[in-house]
Amino acid sequence: MSPEAAGLAHGTIRADHIWKRFRSDARRWSVSTQLNYWKARRQSGDEDFWRWALRDIGVHIEPGEAVGLVGPNGSGKSTLLKILSRVMHPYAGRVAVSGRVGALIEVKAGIHNELSGRENIYLYGSLLGLSRREVAQRFDQIIAFSELDDAIDRQVKFYSSGMQMRLGFSVAAHLDPDILLVDEVLAVGDASFQQRCHDRMREVLNQGTTLVLVSHDLAAVEATCNRCLLLVDGLLRGDGPIRDVLGEYREWIEEMAAGRQTVEAIVPLLKAIADDGERGSPRTDGPLEVRLVLDSAEAQKAMLFIGVSEGPATPIFVIRRNMTLASGESELVCRVRHMPLPRGRFHVWVGIYDASWRELLPWHPATFFDVIGNRLMKAPRGIVRLSPVQVTADWDESRR
Amino acid sequence: MTDILDHKTSPPPELLYRNRLNVRRDLRDLWGNRRLVRTLAERDIRASYKQSFFGFGWAIVTPLLTVLVFTIFFKRIGKINTGDIPYPLFAYVGLLPWSFFTSSVSSGSGSLIFNSTILNKVYCPREVFPVAAILVEAVDTVLATAVLGLLFLYYGTAPRLTSLWVPVLILVQLALTVGLTLAFSTAVVYVRDLKQVLGGILQMGLFLTPVAWGIRSVPGRWRAAYCAIDPLAAVIDGYRRVVLQGKAPAWNLLLPAAATSMVVLIAGYYIFRRLEGGIADVA
Repeated sequence: MSPEAAGLAHGTIRADHIWKRFRSDARRWSVSTQLNYWKARRQSGDEDFWRWALRDIGVHIEPGEAVGLVGPNGSGKSTLLKILSRVMHPYAGRVAVSGRVGALIEVKAGIHNELSGRENIYLYGSLLGLSRREVAQRFDQIIAFSELDDAIDRQVKFYSSGMQMRLGFSVAAHLDPDILLVDEVLAVGDASFQQRCHDRMREVLNQGTTLVLVSHDLAAVEATCNRCLLLVDGLLRGDGPIRDVLGEYREWIEEMAAGRQTVEAIVPLLKAIADDGERGSPRTDGPLEVRLVLDSAEAQKAMLFIGVSEGPATPIFVIRRNMTLASGESELVCRVRHMPLPRGRFHVWVGIYDASWRELLPWHPATFFDVIGNRLMKAPRGIVRLSPVQVTADWDESRR
Repeated sequence: MTDILDHKTSPPPELLYRNRLNVRRDLRDLWGNRRLVRTLAERDIRASYKQSFFGFGWAIVTPLLTVLVFTIFFKRIGKINTGDIPYPLFAYVGLLPWSFFTSSVSSGSGSLIFNSTILNKVYCPREVFPVAAILVEAVDTVLATAVLGLLFLYYGTAPRLTSLWVPVLILVQLALTVGLTLAFSTAVVYVRDLKQVLGGILQMGLFLTPVAWGIRSVPGRWRAAYCAIDPLAAVIDGYRRVVLQGKAPAWNLLLPAAATSMVVLIAGYYIFRRLEGGIADVA
């Protein structure tokens, strides 16, 4: 428990005006760089040698809250998590964290390579301030959850990365932390273990533990958390109900993607968003809404195709619309009432052609969405699924 | 908001995070984590002996061999006069505190790097790592003390009653050991070369300190100054006086040594606290 946390209920996080910077010059400890650094510091200030990782972050989290932390790579998520877990000191600001913190920040959380899995569990326990007896009481539970029965007496350096993550998560989530911090590490586990991790996180939440979850799997964040923080470039860009912030984040991704858009087109696609119609993630058999903003120089007849794929250009299903493009900007909304996709990330491909199949907008991935729902049911052994899906849709056209 | 977006903006100075020095709080923190210190020490003891065939025997064999070498080289060739005390006994009483000191400082100074996987992921007061390293060496030293008993039996003598002074000497020695270990454990994280430098200094120290020879080889008027620079000289001389010669420690040597040790302890703690804050950034 941090000294400032006296008087706060266990599971509370108070972080105000957090600033953190790192040295940006690579050869930090060579003598010449160091001399330059001191010279610059005396003359013009040392700002050029530093890079801000976090700038003026303020976060208050109450006990029992489930908070998602999202943002692009390098936005400072892990740094913030490390500061909240008190592993790292901020450059400026005040942090108060009350209670026992279980953290799974890198794959090998609190794990010592030379020791066996069993010894690691006890070591981690004493890092969290538990006695041997307290750890022993939870030992079987941890083994059962991590499914490491045969490997538990093997040295951890012989574990696969998946096994290390399983051990790390099991330990962190079973030693009764008041606060559980989970970084983007679950991705290392296989699908069924990831599922159980999320179940376990919900269980722990029901026991009143505070959860902070970092993930790029937005659907998983949405399914587990009710509040979300959005970090972009070291700044807190969003903090609020999960749907609103994830919506903002998706829009931000969209803007970034639009900025990088290199598709040469006669009819450019200005904006593409796919969600459940209310800025949330679509659910299996729930509505899917794709909103496109197009910019056509003239009014013309056209065929518009929307395809949904798992990534590659070959779609799972395609929806076609024969339409008349209005001149100028127009918005087009496509609603699928019962979207038949399982959980996962899917990409929306868009292409527009005129009557003689001339490309007005080439077939390209325009956006993506994450589906909340069940995993795909298994096909019989040795059977390859082609996923032919028939989808009906309602359409809506409006001039902008 | 816009001025924050400028990368040159800095936080207002009154918000800067300071790692406050607070001895009472730190000691309480360390005490609260005594279980962790024990676990870490147990881990290291087990890790170092589990894979070796001879196990704990090494804690005894290594100093015995050193004494054998000392006896051959210093006693036979260097002709060191130890009075009526058998040379192996004389040398061993010097070697025990010396090897506790060197192995503590060298393994303790690497302890933060060695444990960087842990301290990058879970919070705990960082002192636990150097302290646990010193504890491991203390256990080794206790084991090696058993050999001292064998030597006493072999030469048909026993420790003198003045051995009751030993705890005082241990305190002086611990202050020096802990201070140096704390300072180096953090400094080494930033400048890795220090580890090599330290190794060299310790190696020379073995010969510059009266481990294999007696303090009487130092001219009388230099002795106090010498002990102020190398407190271990006074400590080792003290052990010999109280355990072997039945005399009280030489206070004119021990007091300057104790003063230096206290300064080292305080400076070490200060350096540790100042440098500890940035460890997770560079380790």
